[in-house]
Amino acid sequence: MRDLNRRRGVPFPLHDVALRDASDDELMRVSQGMGLALSLDEMKTIRDHFAGLGRDPTDVELQSLGQAWSEHCCYKSSKVFLREFIFPVQAPYVLDRGDAGVVEFDEDHAYALRIESHNHPSAVEPYGGATTGIGGILRDVLAMGAQPIALCDPLHFGPLDFKFENLPKGVKHPRYLFGGVVAGIRDYGNRVGIPTVNGLIHFDEGYVGNIIVNVACVGFAKKSQIQKNRVAQPGDVFVLCGGRTGRDGIHGVTYASVDLTAEAAEAWSGGAVQIGDAIVKEPLIHACLDAAEHGLLHGMKDLGGGGLSCVVGEMARNGGLGAEVDLERVPLKEEGLAPWEIWVSESQERMMLAVPPEHVDRVLKVCDLYDVLAAPIGRAIPGNVCRVSYRGELVLEVDLDFYTGGPEYCRAYESKVPAVRPPERYPEEPDDYAAVLLRVLASPNVANKELVVRQYDHEVRASTVIKPLHGIVGRSSHGDASVVRPLVDSHRALAIACASTPQFTAIDPFRGGATAVDEACRNLVAVGARPHSLTNCLNFGNPEKPDRLGFFREAVRGIGTTAQALGIPIPSGNVSFYNESALGPAPPTPVVMGVGIVEDFRTCVTSDFKSSGNPIYLVGETHQEMGGSEYFRVVGGSSGVAPNVDVAALKGGMDGVLAAIRAGDIAACHDLSQGGLAVAVAEMCLGGDVGASLDLSSLDPLRLDFLLFSETNARWLLEIHNGHEDAFESNFPAPVARVGTVGGRTFRIRRGRERSEVGVDEMRDAWSSALPRLVVG
Amino acid sequence: MKREDVRVAVLLIEGTNCEDESVRYFQLLGAHAEKVHLKQLTGDAPPEFRRRLADYDVLMIPGGFAAGDYVRAGAIFAARMKSRLAGELEDFVRSGRPVLGVCNGFQVLVEAGMLPAVRGPITDTPEAVLATNDSAHYECRPSYLKHENGGSCAFTGRLKKGDVITVVSAHGEGKFLLPKEREQEMLRELIENDQVVFRYVDDRGKYAGYPWCPNGALYNIAALSNREGNVFGVQPHPERSFFRYLHPDWTRSGNPDGPGDGRVVFESVLDYVTAKF
Repeated sequence: MRDLNRRRGVPFPLHDVALRDASDDELMRVSQGMGLALSLDEMKTIRDHFAGLGRDPTDVELQSLGQAWSEHCCYKSSKVFLREFIFPVQAPYVLDRGDAGVVEFDEDHAYALRIESHNHPSAVEPYGGATTGIGGILRDVLAMGAQPIALCDPLHFGPLDFKFENLPKGVKHPRYLFGGVVAGIRDYGNRVGIPTVNGLIHFDEGYVGNIIVNVACVGFAKKSQIQKNRVAQPGDVFVLCGGRTGRDGIHGVTYASVDLTAEAAEAWSGGAVQIGDAIVKEPLIHACLDAAEHGLLHGMKDLGGGGLSCVVGEMARNGGLGAEVDLERVPLKEEGLAPWEIWVSESQERMMLAVPPEHVDRVLKVCDLYDVLAAPIGRAIPGNVCRVSYRGELVLEVDLDFYTGGPEYCRAYESKVPAVRPPERYPEEPDDYAAVLLRVLASPNVANKELVVRQYDHEVRASTVIKPLHGIVGRSSHGDASVVRPLVDSHRALAIACASTPQFTAIDPFRGGATAVDEACRNLVAVGARPHSLTNCLNFGNPEKPDRLGFFREAVRGIGTTAQALGIPIPSGNVSFYNESALGPAPPTPVVMGVGIVEDFRTCVTSDFKSSGNPIYLVGETHQEMGGSEYFRVVGGSSGVAPNVDVAALKGGMDGVLAAIRAGDIAACHDLSQGGLAVAVAEMCLGGDVGASLDLSSLDPLRLDFLLFSETNARWLLEIHNGHEDAFESNFPAPVARVGTVGGRTFRIRRGRERSEVGVDEMRDAWSSALPRLVVG
Repeated sequence: MKREDVRVAVLLIEGTNCEDESVRYFQLLGAHAEKVHLKQLTGDAPPEFRRRLADYDVLMIPGGFAAGDYVRAGAIFAARMKSRLAGELEDFVRSGRPVLGVCNGFQVLVEAGMLPAVRGPITDTPEAVLATNDSAHYECRPSYLKHENGGSCAFTGRLKKGDVITVVSAHGEGKFLLPKEREQEMLRELIENDQVVFRYVDDRGKYAGYPWCPNGALYNIAALSNREGNVFGVQPHPERSFFRYLHPDWTRSGNPDGPGDGRVVFESVLDYVTAKF
């Protein structure tokens, strides 16, 4: 085999790669050998481009293109669908769509939001993967000039009691991964001082080989301080600040753009996963915001996937300019890095500032005050060429149109997914409802997550006015959304909630995507917030396989059409493909984080029942939609009927609940999701440490277990203040029924002659002991 | 002196993360408060940024993870502070001016030998430790604190002995311990000196174990002062219950805009300073 690398006569490693006369086999060997993860067609395009220039590319140029054209960086397989379904969802109050979406908060302020995946690194090194996930999302928000104010972590793992002997080679046990990810979020998030206020944890066998670790962030800024991710004029200086650059984190994006096989996992372990350093990040946030506040910047952008190669190219391109960079000026962790390593390293905790020349000294001074390392490494130039040198040698010269243009595919997809629907297999109606409810409450997907929630500091910054856990101190239960007050002199606040729907998406991806939007909105409304914007993380399998891409397209269609019908914009998002392992694809997992506006947080309500004697109402109709339900998972049923989304019903319910909260009619509110009506009542009882009686005689004559456990969308359970019943019932714009009363020490269910009863303490025991037992093992 | 003349320094290094709200609340009560980086006190900052400890009336070390706390919590901040400012700190404490350490700040004061400080204002080596919680992980949960001080503490003058307040705990290392061989003797001394300011209790006001005491601290100790009462360290965060709306259960108790339980700490120290100086 020929060696195509021609070493240049310089005192550091630099190669020209003889692509021009390379065969197809050789092109693929170069792609694999250099870890580029580019396809043959892409390699041919590169070869032809350089042939047209009359020269061969350097290793720096090839590595650069490998980064820029990766699925992770250029969304080449997903863009066609995002453009069709997500991008058209607009709202006049969206101010920018950069590294994070920027949305108007009030006349003078804006908030930023973004979600991202860190699946593959977390599957290999859970602690490091989780920390760098948070680090990355904080930088995305910071890059818009916004102070991060809240974090949210939707997580998906295999069952914690998965049998060790069934683990394939190279796959780590779910309990190890769970422990590492939670510890990583805890240690990084708590140290960096940004509250983790929301999240979700979902368990399913499908995640054993490929966990799904998403992290979302909300930031806040004066409108006048919002930054663009660009340079503005020729001469703008690229100031690199924060951490040093090292060999850690090389090829993260390319490994994220292939399946997580045992070999890929091995390669990741070789240096692609890093450990974040919150104590470098924390002052970096202060320094960047300080510089932005004083008007010293023309733009900034974070260094994430692809490192310098991506950030310089994209900032120049966004500004319609070219760039010149001297790699020798990049502060390094160690000597001896090849130029291409410096150029693509994804070392953590770095930001790039675009600084007009007259402000460079002041920016360096600001960084010094916070002990943040900062170095001018290049500048913007007219034209559209990016030129990189190292010790006087030109190592890269590319046309930015070609470089950041990236390929885009309209890959084949199955239009009918899943090809085979699950069979309709209905279990016998239970004799003992108390026992079944206790089993559902103890199911890890429903059980108390306090063990995890309380390891995250959800109070730092002293602005979390509605916490993730609601209720009596020492007896708290799950809430639907958290509320953060960003301004000290205003009662206007932001609510944050999330949802993921793999259980529905696997059997009906359109409904799964739509339900994720429905649930995120329901959660926001449950505390009294008007849904205002969404961000989504789409975790799917290998897009080169038509059925996987079919699931993706349908889920995206579900999210997009529902958001469109509700008029709620999606100004940012992230796609994670290749969530596949030796065990097959992970369940298709659309995750949605919603941000809502609370006009006055003093009107917010929580999920815990407040007072004995108050009536309980159910908003929305319940249908027999048992597919993907937690009840069927527990009792072993199967159905292909996932919950439908009826936008008109959802809108009616949202408007009605929000109006009733504003009017002060509602004492407690909880959305109905996993475990349906029965679990919602149980959680409200637990938070208030009080019982309830439910009489379902007036509801649809569904089978009682379906009525209690169906996960039909657009439903809420409300506790209404005594005496407010008439005001509440009149004009409610959606179906609503009085179904019970708060009180006693048990949860009593009655329909006709059917009766069952279970104690609050018994429920608490089942619900609270499940997760600690599984974690300790 | 008048409240508006009280100057408060909220001291920070990298990783301190509760400085903004702490400054804000002192300001809200009328004091002149500002963030001060340790570099500004040690002369390592450019001249226009330099400050002198002696120019302040109250020193606060807020919560966070100073320098990452990758070794024992508070140890690095304490070492950096003490190596450059030991003399000035001692003068500050001897003059009776108050020093407040919250959470990580409490850990810093203990590591610096400024608490419990049974033998002088600053001991050469730490006399106690805030060790890893019994649960072996971070705990973010509301705590009930019973006020045990007889009136000597500069930070709790507005509370009666026996009052119980709700304050949020948020720490991984809050288990107060004394050297095993002198534990009982030192504890007795702390009680006799009226140095035990708050202890963790349950929802009925009784001394109780986990989760009411989130960390397993000796004698349920949540807060201590020095003998004179002007140096005060508290593990839970009073600033995080400055308003009622920051309490975890305000949707049950109502009055969100009302004062929260933690505000007394800030009010009390300003009372103390304005009366004494």
